[in-house]
Amino acid sequence: MGRICELLVELDEERLMDAIREELAGGTDAAAVFIECQEGLSEIGRLFQEEKMFVSDLMMAGVLFKDIVGLIMPHMKTDGGAARGKVVLGTVKDDIHDIGKDIVASMLAAAGFDVIDLGVDVPPEEFVRAVRENNVRVLALSCLLASCYASILNTVEAVKAAGIREKVKILIGGGPVDEHVVRYSGADAYGATAQDAVDYCKEALR
Amino acid sequence: MRYNEIYEERRRKVDACIRFENRRAVSTFMGQSVAATHTEGMTLARYMEDHEAGLDCYIDFLERVNREAPIDCFNFGYPGGHQGGLVLSWWSRVRMPGKELPENSIWQVEERKVVEDEDYDLILRDGSAASVLERILPLIAEPKVMEDFVSFNVTNFDRVMLRYCEAGYPALNSGLVITPFENLCGGRSIHVFFRDCYRQPDKVKAVQDAMMNDVREQIRHLPREDYMIGRWVGGWRGASNLVSQKIWDLLVWPYMKEAALLLIEQGITPILHLDACWDRDLERFLELPRQKCILNTDGMTDLRKARRILGDHAAFLGDIPSTMLTVSSADEIKDYVKRLLDDIGPQGVFIAPGCDAPACAKYENLVAIHEAVQEY
Repeated sequence: MGRICELLVELDEERLMDAIREELAGGTDAAAVFIECQEGLSEIGRLFQEEKMFVSDLMMAGVLFKDIVGLIMPHMKTDGGAARGKVVLGTVKDDIHDIGKDIVASMLAAAGFDVIDLGVDVPPEEFVRAVRENNVRVLALSCLLASCYASILNTVEAVKAAGIREKVKILIGGGPVDEHVVRYSGADAYGATAQDAVDYCKEALR
Repeated sequence: MRYNEIYEERRRKVDACIRFENRRAVSTFMGQSVAATHTEGMTLARYMEDHEAGLDCYIDFLERVNREAPIDCFNFGYPGGHQGGLVLSWWSRVRMPGKELPENSIWQVEERKVVEDEDYDLILRDGSAASVLERILPLIAEPKVMEDFVSFNVTNFDRVMLRYCEAGYPALNSGLVITPFENLCGGRSIHVFFRDCYRQPDKVKAVQDAMMNDVREQIRHLPREDYMIGRWVGGWRGASNLVSQKIWDLLVWPYMKEAALLLIEQGITPILHLDACWDRDLERFLELPRQKCILNTDGMTDLRKARRILGDHAAFLGDIPSTMLTVSSADEIKDYVKRLLDDIGPQGVFIAPGCDAPACAKYENLVAIHEAVQEY
């Protein structure tokens, strides 16, 4: 593990940012620094799965990653390389919770996915439009309210009605979402954690 | 004071359960919104707005379920003035049915940062969050919202609690104690507050220490009537699976523990309302006095593990997951309850929906909880 990667895993903000500034000033390729940061985030995801890091750590890592991107991007000669693929993400209709969705968005972005985040309280037709327009293969739906399971179902139904169901995998997640809701809604899978979402997207877009 | 025979009989079961002297699990109703969604002609909006009609509806619903399978007590009563209660808990704007939401949509907290950086200094200067709360309240609630809250939960508190007693149902929980971590998490918004916890933990701790003065005052002034059994101590954003160990040890547990101990001093049972998963830190509940607390979990904390670690130290209240109440069958609910009781035993166990039954919980699933307890 490189120094930058290590500092990111330790969530040592001050020393991390100093180290990145030093590397960039010393002429290190910005893309290499970026890749090392991605490795750090991937390690954080692994430690989270092992219950050695927690949601607050993921959120702090997300904050740091945004700051890192701001620091590195002006030095990038390209856009950082081809993204792994596009994912449409949003919280379903009638639900305004965004914390879990935002964590998933930052973890996916850090893992190299191009995330199209539609926000919260998103109607089914808006998900369908985004999937169509962007030709994505993974649609990720967030839901924190049991009363909004019907919104997941309606979104899955809208995707079917639009004739694109076989082209897109539908992943669902959020506090009360589990295998029962997958069966109820006709989605493909659920993610219990943000890292599950990353792993699922990697597999689906391989 | 004695209320009536049915109440007293049920109350003895509750008290025995806290002390692990019960032989059967205690069948506990929980569902702040379900009374409205299962009552013909009652919208959730009217249920929340019209306190008299809402309270009647809640008690009628308790009776209706009790006729199908016996209820021993309930966890959280009719949520009168609830918008104000949520505002005070989360320091955030709350969207309500019939106002910002459709008539039958459940309320939702809209978290946006309202506590500014300089508010930390104000709290430190005052040794209290009162002036900050005074500044932010107009930003997050109309005056009528707070008037409604005070009317139901302060002015009419005694009358409401006596209605439950008259109906024969002990109220496990008679209100909330919110720890500073939870207030700040809502008022700063979770993203900003968690960042504060990493960037300036000592300052956050000093602020929380100052805010605890308000919590101590609140607990000192709680009514001491016989109907006061317990009070929730939250437990939502401070969950073990949400915050790192370092933050939990510094900014979560010391405040929950102090609030719990203060309640016990007042003769009130702390009901530690533990949303999400607390497996990592279960041992810490051994720091609280034996058989004086209830851990109210929502299906994510492993109660089997909790029983192994805590033994008969603290009673459990829960923990049927809200998802099951919505999409599973009544048989699956019964199976869940019976397997849980097989594994952790009925002593010191209040069986209830975890956290809260969602508004869309199936009626037969709510009844199945109480049937399962009766059949076990």
